[in-house]
Amino acid sequence: MSELVLLQAARLKGRLDAEAAAACAGMDPAAAQAGLDALVDAGDAKAVGGGVRITPQGRERLDALLAEERATVDQPALTGLYEEFDAFNGELKAIVTDWQMVDEQTPNAHTDRAYDQAVISRLADLHGRFAPLMARIAAAAPRLAPYPERFAAAIGKVREGDHAFVARPIADSYHTVWFELHEELIGLLGLSRAAEAAAGRAV
Amino acid sequence: MTLLWMGEHDRLDRELVGGKAHSLNLMRLLGLPVPPAFVLTTEVCARFYAAGGELDAEVVAEVRDAVRTLETKAGRRFGDTEAPLLVSVRSGAARSMPGMMDTVLNLGVNARVERALADLTGDGAYAADTHRRFREQFERVVGTPAPDDPWEQLTAAIAAVFRSWTSSRAVAYRRHHGIPDDGGTSVTVQAMVFGNLDDDSGTGVLFSRNPLTGDPAPYGEWLPRGQGEDVVSGRHDPLGLDALAGRLPDVHAELLSAARRLEEVGKDVQDIEFTVESGRLWLLQSRSAKRSPDAAVRLAVALHEAGALTVDEALRTVAPEQVEAVCRPRVDPEAKARATLLARGEPACPGVGAGRVVLDVEEAEELAESGVDVVLARPTTDPDDVAGMVVSTAILTEIGGSTSHAAVVSRELGTPCVVGCGTGTLGALAGRQVTVDGMTGEVFEGILRLAPSSEADDPALATLGRWARERAGDAGGPLPEVFAAARRAIGQTPIAALSTP
Repeated sequence: MSELVLLQAARLKGRLDAEAAAACAGMDPAAAQAGLDALVDAGDAKAVGGGVRITPQGRERLDALLAEERATVDQPALTGLYEEFDAFNGELKAIVTDWQMVDEQTPNAHTDRAYDQAVISRLADLHGRFAPLMARIAAAAPRLAPYPERFAAAIGKVREGDHAFVARPIADSYHTVWFELHEELIGLLGLSRAAEAAAGRAV
Repeated sequence: MTLLWMGEHDRLDRELVGGKAHSLNLMRLLGLPVPPAFVLTTEVCARFYAAGGELDAEVVAEVRDAVRTLETKAGRRFGDTEAPLLVSVRSGAARSMPGMMDTVLNLGVNARVERALADLTGDGAYAADTHRRFREQFERVVGTPAPDDPWEQLTAAIAAVFRSWTSSRAVAYRRHHGIPDDGGTSVTVQAMVFGNLDDDSGTGVLFSRNPLTGDPAPYGEWLPRGQGEDVVSGRHDPLGLDALAGRLPDVHAELLSAARRLEEVGKDVQDIEFTVESGRLWLLQSRSAKRSPDAAVRLAVALHEAGALTVDEALRTVAPEQVEAVCRPRVDPEAKARATLLARGEPACPGVGAGRVVLDVEEAEELAESGVDVVLARPTTDPDDVAGMVVSTAILTEIGGSTSHAAVVSRELGTPCVVGCGTGTLGALAGRQVTVDGMTGEVFEGILRLAPSSEADDPALATLGRWARERAGDAGGPLPEVFAAARRAIGQTPIAALSTP
């Protein structure tokens, strides 16, 4: 399964280094580096500036592996879990938007500590309510097992005062992990992002 | 302190009467023409909630007496068929919550009063329209059809305005803006004046200075034979103030003199709503004018130069966010006026970015690496797209709103972004040079010139910068940071006498 995990991580991250790969795959960095080297040797990824990038051949391989995986997942159960996820999704997006903007016109300059703290409390509250659902999702789709730890790590950083972990892209911020999970659920259910976006769910 | 008359109090507590009544009281104290009005304080609101959402008999009796006094002051009678008095019933909180609470206009009209209005104005259509507007607004606000009896209308409307303090939208607004829930709203009851009575009547809005450009000349709109919200609603094409000056020169002069006085006392640019009834001027509201960031900077400097504000007061009229916006690169307005608009969507991250439109992430990365400015255009964005977003000067999507993934990521990156341009709108732009205005949501053909945004080429900004540096101590760095430090150094904004933000 590590081949699938690493290929998918390379696809989602664009450019994947061993450290990020280790976090996404829930393995130690040495094992992750070995896995990335294997992908490069097989021609499924190419080395770029300190990491790897998926190749077109790697994408085909990934699609095949994802199709195999999809057949093993209890689709009706996962569909139900996705619906539960969707209820949280709107809330998460509203929280992140409030984090970034104090109103429609005004970006949050992060000078008002009380405002920021209120938003962070909402995020921490959502995390607490979402964690049980995340555990059930990971049980239904075992490859997603590293996600609970990634969410916990992000909210932990935020609580320690590292606010980049609310929504910073590239970094494994809460929003980054959330969005990758969303992408995984769409893929596991054989849905298309464009259709989900048009339905107002995945945008 | 349950019921207070406007113009009879030297000083009114904003927390007790709300911003609107506070301003009406001051205008009347200044001897300006304001239709007679009284206010039920936020204490009545608290009593209303304590009684389980009911107006107690004592308040109802006080309101009845007050309306009798209002009749005497206005020379009309409530529910009368000769000279009917109509009133407005408005909410008013200490901190402005625009559009969140309810208002009922034209209260006191019923079928008989409608006929009286038709006779009075010689305009049956207007009378019918007033009645219809009232019925619709009443039903929307109160939740039941309007009763025939004006007194029943009044108590029901007052109760509904008090109730609107706890409407879900008002509660959500307060939560979002950190306003406490315990303040409550006041209710102002004011005699209506008729802007549509005859050819010497109308309604308008006056800014004591131009709120868009910062130009010192008063700026306004005048709608002959218009009433109330007609100008604000944008349903009609109003005329300029010169039309008012041409028809009613005395009214025009009185209006400008009132505006100067209000600006002086309010220590800020005023946004004034007025109505003229048969050649007689009435002021309905005056508050600090909302303004563009550019205008905020220019007006602060101009008001100081005119002697209206001290330097500290001038600095307090500008928000740190406005300085930041002024310093941000923007498309030159003239270049924009001549440019071809290629697409339009929802603004997601402010700023301007220009470059070649690229539809594919890898291509974006390769071009960017070779030094080409790229604008990434995607139907919607996936996690895979982030690598391309990072290297782009601007981001466009076809589907998605201001909370979409593309919007969130662009704001974190500080990359100008326009989302939701519409399905199928972006593919054709591939390879073209465009300029993306993330403030307005517009995408223009070509690389457009940017407007000046530095102290070197903006004298007003330079003056503001000099003031800020004098007060910021040793805070260095970019102007927005210096300005924010200066604002902290000079302390909080005292609420200007007349401002109803």
